[in-house]
Amino acid sequence: MHAATSTTHEAHDVHDHIHPAPEGFVRKYVFSLDHKVIGFQYFFTGLLIMLIAGSFAELVRLQLTDPKGAIMSNTAYNEMFSMHGTAMVWLVLIPLVTGALGNFVMPLQIGARDVAFPWLNMVSFWIVPIAAILLFSSMLWGGPHAGWTEYPPVSLLDGTAGALWCAAIFTVGISSTMTGLNFMTTVIMMRAPGMTWTRMPLFVWATFATALMNMMATVALSAAVGALFLQHVFKVPFFDPARGGSPVLYEHMFWFYSHPAVYIFIIPAFGVISEVISTFSRKPIFGYKMIAFSSMAIAILSFTVWAHHMFPSGLAPWLQLPFMILTYAIGIPTGIKIFSWVATLWGGRIYFSTAMLYALGFLITFTFGGITGIFLASVPVDLHAHGTTFIVAHFHYVVAGGSVMGFLAAVPYWYPKATGRLMSERLGHIGFWLFFIGLNGTFMPMHWLGLEGMPRRYATYEYFAKAFPDAQFWNQFETGFSFLMAASIGLLAFNVIWSIKHGKIAGINPWGARTLEWTIDSPPPYYNFKKIPNVFDRPYDFDQPMPYRNTDNVVAPYPEYGAVVMAQPAGAGA
Amino acid sequence: MAHGTAPSPQQVRLKGLGPGFWSVTLVLTLISLANAWYFLFGSIDWIMPGSTNPVANVTYDIDGLFKFMAVFGGAICIYVTGYVIYFAIAFRARASDAPDAVGVPIHDAPTLEFWWTALPTLLLIVLTGLSIVVWYKIQFGVGSATGLTTEVIGHQFYFEFRYPGLKTSVFSKTEPMHLPLNVPVRVLITSSDVIHQFWVPEIRLKQAAVPGLVQNLNFTPLRSGTYDIVCSEFCGIDHSKMQGKLIIEPVAAFNKWLDAKKQAAAAGGGVVDLSGGTALAGKALFAQKCAACHQIAPFDQKLVGPGLLHITDDPAHPTLVTGQTPTSAHIAAILQNGFTGPIGTMPNAQANGLAGKDIANLVAYLTSLK
Repeated sequence: MHAATSTTHEAHDVHDHIHPAPEGFVRKYVFSLDHKVIGFQYFFTGLLIMLIAGSFAELVRLQLTDPKGAIMSNTAYNEMFSMHGTAMVWLVLIPLVTGALGNFVMPLQIGARDVAFPWLNMVSFWIVPIAAILLFSSMLWGGPHAGWTEYPPVSLLDGTAGALWCAAIFTVGISSTMTGLNFMTTVIMMRAPGMTWTRMPLFVWATFATALMNMMATVALSAAVGALFLQHVFKVPFFDPARGGSPVLYEHMFWFYSHPAVYIFIIPAFGVISEVISTFSRKPIFGYKMIAFSSMAIAILSFTVWAHHMFPSGLAPWLQLPFMILTYAIGIPTGIKIFSWVATLWGGRIYFSTAMLYALGFLITFTFGGITGIFLASVPVDLHAHGTTFIVAHFHYVVAGGSVMGFLAAVPYWYPKATGRLMSERLGHIGFWLFFIGLNGTFMPMHWLGLEGMPRRYATYEYFAKAFPDAQFWNQFETGFSFLMAASIGLLAFNVIWSIKHGKIAGINPWGARTLEWTIDSPPPYYNFKKIPNVFDRPYDFDQPMPYRNTDNVVAPYPEYGAVVMAQPAGAGA
Repeated sequence: MAHGTAPSPQQVRLKGLGPGFWSVTLVLTLISLANAWYFLFGSIDWIMPGSTNPVANVTYDIDGLFKFMAVFGGAICIYVTGYVIYFAIAFRARASDAPDAVGVPIHDAPTLEFWWTALPTLLLIVLTGLSIVVWYKIQFGVGSATGLTTEVIGHQFYFEFRYPGLKTSVFSKTEPMHLPLNVPVRVLITSSDVIHQFWVPEIRLKQAAVPGLVQNLNFTPLRSGTYDIVCSEFCGIDHSKMQGKLIIEPVAAFNKWLDAKKQAAAAGGGVVDLSGGTALAGKALFAQKCAACHQIAPFDQKLVGPGLLHITDDPAHPTLVTGQTPTSAHIAAILQNGFTGPIGTMPNAQANGLAGKDIANLVAYLTSLK
């Protein structure tokens, strides 16, 4: 089951066959093959682009403080929300939750020395900056204007910028597909001896489900943007009805990828939440198998619901019915997960670390976003809510309140493993409250504004402000709260950099967690595990000794919380 | 199995389901009931405008589905949020716990898991059934009973409305759409350029206007008044300016309006004073207003519309696209009212930004061409 077998060095114990770490800056930090370094590369790239794409969002919010449009032209506004969405989806969320977390955490959790194809992994990462350069260079030609979806025919008016957008998305799609293949192979082939499927940590299950979707769905997106590129550049009329094409075809192909895509960035967050809630409740995760299987159920069902984005967009009426029913069906495994996490909290011994606060916040905001998703799954209600700020609210509750909150829980949780130092808990707590309050303040009013009649992607809303005089007040309210979220992300960036030097020394296992990455040094050595450990039980039984043999370090049979956190159960220490 | 020799860690002590579990559950239930009461019996007009006095027959049903989900979905949110907060407080680690204390080591509870899977599933089945009933009514409810079929054509950035028997179009920039009260209506929707969306928030229905595709919306207007028509699919630079008005009025008033439109169309669509137009001014105006779609070239050299060099003397095309003789008055009528035919749509004077004087100049110029 493990891949470290050696046929040429029979005299060695197979576990001792370790290559030396690479020498030199370029091989170590730039074109590194080490999954941990590649994880950092994804992390810092994603975080940097998040700051840029987040500032675009703030410009969008500032524009809407006035019904006439406060700060920029319609064209500039259209470019800003399009760039915000595109960059956040493909260059922030997917690189952060699959690239950064998947790369750093997954091989450590399965007791592997690297991913299955390290070289492919390096290529996958370096494709992302290339895609970023393509996307941001489109702004020199005026940028994309038709939103992150870039529906033709209107997106065909973007010209060179539109073609560059297609090229960027096609490029980043290659990275997703390769990462998916790589991670699936890694999980299937490289688990430590004794780590059966039902002994895998839930984050590994989540990464596996995500890899499946990444590998299978991304090709549809590549086909969609590839065809759009051909229409931009060579005028091939794929989506031109006057010459036998269909604009609706693009929507089908786009959403066949982009619906799984929203699960691609939520399921890794589910995995994080499972780890964090179990650890900081000091309890086995409730319903391990149901959580693991529901991830797979969601991954498979996610391929069958894409057209619910298109109820009023050109679907035959009878076709709306199966997509409505399947969309409702996907609510069931999602509900099981949420109830299982809440049940994990019951009877626990809960520590309010920054990671745990984000996990608790996730349960509240993600549940809310999930419920509004049920509203939208109903065809008749969607015929009203489609294309309004209600969609924007739903989407951001799920993505900012789900994926991003999961990511923000993961950062302080695994940071000590990655760097050997703890992040500042005090800054983390402030950051959590800023983010949680900011998120709800920004997106909650969008629910009723949308239902009252405010469409999304409106650079101005004079018509709406005339019908609803309080529209401007609520938009200003949202803009004000959005800056709390911005401050929280700024604080996170500061905390990440500051704590590299000034954080408290973490030790091997500061949280008293029980998965394999907490049995090796922080930061882990180049090859992670000197000896490949044996696994003989499931990971989350906090009342049992650690279920690992042949480990590098002497592991306390019953892990305690590291002294740093133990001293203050409320977790308020800096 | 090498289970070590250290003693097992202490578990936190717990009585029943925890301190105050049932009181918290009672409070959450009361909040959920209050939420249900509000949505079922309160006015939600501030979220869903016109909910208490529905504008169309489907409005009431769609709002009913919304309320159903607000009641049960709201309850799920209230319980989850409430229990998360309550558990976090009730089961927080305390300084008095043993340092290595752990939570209650339960892995599952099959009965509980059965119910929390079965009940939401049941709820979703009921919801699916209700949604299908409303969906059927929206998609197929009018059926052959259709009293009026109208057409909506999306343009950047206005709507064009067409009525049976009316040769000219109504453009949202100058005039509202009219619909008769209590008559089942089928609105056929398409687009001449990019994807738009025809949405009347107070009716709750929207449908995309997709080029190359004709789709429909079916409903029966139930309340007179003036309502907004909104484009809700991003369609370009002035997307946020693309709105129109819908007037729902009693059948008699609607017929009176439609007859007046028909008469105006038959009369050549309003009288434009053509005296005083000069070909020179018309030529400059043509370059500015018309040259994007028309060339001064033979008919077949189309940009969007036909070439206009031989508008008055083309043996292959003895009449205008309207089928009328190429007199000054008939050319002026096209400029004034716009026209939609097999070639496409010519916007009206309002959409093209043409005043009466401009039309006079353009007609003088066009009729001077040989």
